[in-house]
Amino acid sequence: MSFIDLKGLLQPLGALKQIGKKPHTIRFPYEKKDASDNYRGLHYNEINDCIGCGNCSTICPNAAIDMIDLLEVEGNAGDSGLRPRIDNGRCCWCALCVDVCPTGSLNLTKDYIYVTDDPNSFLWMPGVDNKEEGKDLISYTSDTTTSLSMYDRVPMRELEGKERVKSFAEVVLGYTEDEARAEAERCISCGLCTEACPEHMHIPEYINAIARGEDEDAVKIIYDNNPLPEMCGKVCTRRCEDVCALQVRGDAVAIRWLKRYATETAPTVEAIKEVVNPVIEEPNGLTVGIIGAGPAGLTAGYYLALKGYDVTIYEAQAHAGGMVMYGIPKYRFPLDSIDKQIEYMESIGVKINYNTRVGKDISFDDIYKNFDAVFIGIGLQKPWNIGIKNEDVPGVIPAIEYLKIINSGGSYDVGKKVAVIGGGNVAIDGARVSARFGAEVTILYRRRVKDMPADWEEIEGAEDEGVHIIPQAIPTRIIKNEKGRVKGIEYVMAKMLTQEGGGRPRPVAIEGSETIYECDTVIGAIGQQADFTWLPEKYKESVLIERGKIQVNNDRQTGDPKIFAGGDAVKFGNADAISAIADGFSAMKGIDKLLLKKK
Amino acid sequence: MTDLIKEQKLLENVTNPFKIKGRVIRNRRVEVFCDKETVSSVLLYAKTQLGYIHLAHMTCIDWIDENKFELIYTIWSPVEKVHLFVKTKIDRENPVMENIDKIWDQANTYEREMREMFGIEFPGLIGEHDFALEDWDEMPPMRKDFDTHQYAEQTYYNRPGREDAKDVRETLVERSGTEVPDFAKKYSRER
Repeated sequence: MSFIDLKGLLQPLGALKQIGKKPHTIRFPYEKKDASDNYRGLHYNEINDCIGCGNCSTICPNAAIDMIDLLEVEGNAGDSGLRPRIDNGRCCWCALCVDVCPTGSLNLTKDYIYVTDDPNSFLWMPGVDNKEEGKDLISYTSDTTTSLSMYDRVPMRELEGKERVKSFAEVVLGYTEDEARAEAERCISCGLCTEACPEHMHIPEYINAIARGEDEDAVKIIYDNNPLPEMCGKVCTRRCEDVCALQVRGDAVAIRWLKRYATETAPTVEAIKEVVNPVIEEPNGLTVGIIGAGPAGLTAGYYLALKGYDVTIYEAQAHAGGMVMYGIPKYRFPLDSIDKQIEYMESIGVKINYNTRVGKDISFDDIYKNFDAVFIGIGLQKPWNIGIKNEDVPGVIPAIEYLKIINSGGSYDVGKKVAVIGGGNVAIDGARVSARFGAEVTILYRRRVKDMPADWEEIEGAEDEGVHIIPQAIPTRIIKNEKGRVKGIEYVMAKMLTQEGGGRPRPVAIEGSETIYECDTVIGAIGQQADFTWLPEKYKESVLIERGKIQVNNDRQTGDPKIFAGGDAVKFGNADAISAIADGFSAMKGIDKLLLKKK
Repeated sequence: MTDLIKEQKLLENVTNPFKIKGRVIRNRRVEVFCDKETVSSVLLYAKTQLGYIHLAHMTCIDWIDENKFELIYTIWSPVEKVHLFVKTKIDRENPVMENIDKIWDQANTYEREMREMFGIEFPGLIGEHDFALEDWDEMPPMRKDFDTHQYAEQTYYNRPGREDAKDVRETLVERSGTEVPDFAKKYSRER
């Protein structure tokens, strides 16, 4: 023991390491301490990010959250227009509402002091009533890892790209039972999708049925307002998935593939009949004539037949299905799929006269006179021209004609190299079919890839199969060889000009950027128009045709009360099958309303 | 990342004498799994032989699909500075667990809470009828099959002014002008 206690002298100096650090003691003058970074205080909802799915309201264990029609928010497809309102007298700040919010708009804040004399003022809308002060105080949030929503889609099994181009075998393999259950369980049943669906199918209900393992109920629910679900399950444009609450931060529920799965559980006509068990009303003695056995005509026919009408469909082609049959390649929608659906319809009493072209094999006058109501569902059969020089030379073919030849079992020699003009699903179909015949395929599209109207899965599918896409390329002329056949196509590159007023960017040709792509075939896919040459002039006064489309009211009724129309050839048409089905369904209701008086 | 030497050593020291399984979760976190009869022995051994003198926490998870309750004892050594989780699963139908208040007095509080919230009985529990809930004769509220929503609806009145609440699905159905058939309604989302 020394006289100087060295340890005792030096140890207090250890406190020096605290110099510069913020003391843990109360400061003077008094400083208010902040709540912790993930504090669960009063709610804050980002009103513009919220889509009104109501998941918070459903999960709330205290029934403290109501969905309220907020006047300043307009509901549209993908937004119910409702917003949550919290009864703070009931809330226990468990934050489950935040954990299940699919968009992440709902948060809790550090604000926890709320003193008032008026107990009724505990009822308030987060994000509206604390618009100013709430935003900066957000503390408890959810991201895609902490959220209880499941954001990752169960991947769909597909044939390998190299394998696919060898044949017309179906590319998508479909979900297994386990995969379908897992995918269906992701759905939060908000129903936002139903508004985006032109036919307003009962999507949350059938997905929920699949999740619960009740596939038969799912099929029955699907057939309630869609008689062609196998088709929709395979080739639908699925507007529903664009507005799925989960797609805001993750993958939309695979609604289309789930519908496909459900229909696969009823694989034969007998099975469909047994599961759907349709109630066919007694014949009511009324007749309806339908022109065109596409999705619109078939839908109207099916539901009218169920209601006891005597339905006859006139179809110019040898097969029913319209564009779905002749326009969509068989690797997307196999022939036996459509045959099964048609057979089911015929089995409940829909009569289809094939190879009967109205205006040639039977006159429109006869149909008009012989039936109590007429439905026109003729679709868009005439392709638009590309509108460039030498378009009439051999080797230039519109995509829908090309697809029709192939789908009817015919053949068309596209040669070694093919150029496809356009960016829609038809263009992709033309390209992928050509790839299956061993051609080297290039798509020329005037805008950017992200502007392509085609389904993203189709674009990816085409790229997997070796299809090359040249975006921002405007075709200028077709070059012919000495024999007068296609030798190549000349195009110019385009730059995208932003439109004043917020329209979508417009492609403008860059001078001197002319390039020649040598090819044996040019396939044009820049849209179609309806052909009305079969319709006698005297009807054109009442059946108004404007900009190439038949004008109808909400019942799909034309100016002539007896004539209804639907599908791609009417003004409602979005040029997809589900819109056509919606038209057919609405027309069925309209026809029923019209003829009800006669019953 | 350190090489977790002390954690590995702790794991061996606990699992070897009792022939139980466990794993190192990360640095300063080790968990072991044992059956309910072994729990008190493991805890006592860890407390007296390994220096895990502090009971930091006790909690319970309701694994309703397995028909089990999982009890988790979190203990801590101020020397090693490692948390050891001792986990066990007990039958959900007849949930009885050994009382460990002779090892740690403060276990009493956790046990009373678990008795009240999950309905787990701890024989010999002191003051068992006296905790947070008053006059509670329903299902223990932290059990997963307890319908909190229903309880709230039955117990509390709705504040005036809530009548304008709307159902999302109904709003959408109305706006689209469609109708959900009756046989499908049981699959709609519950309000």
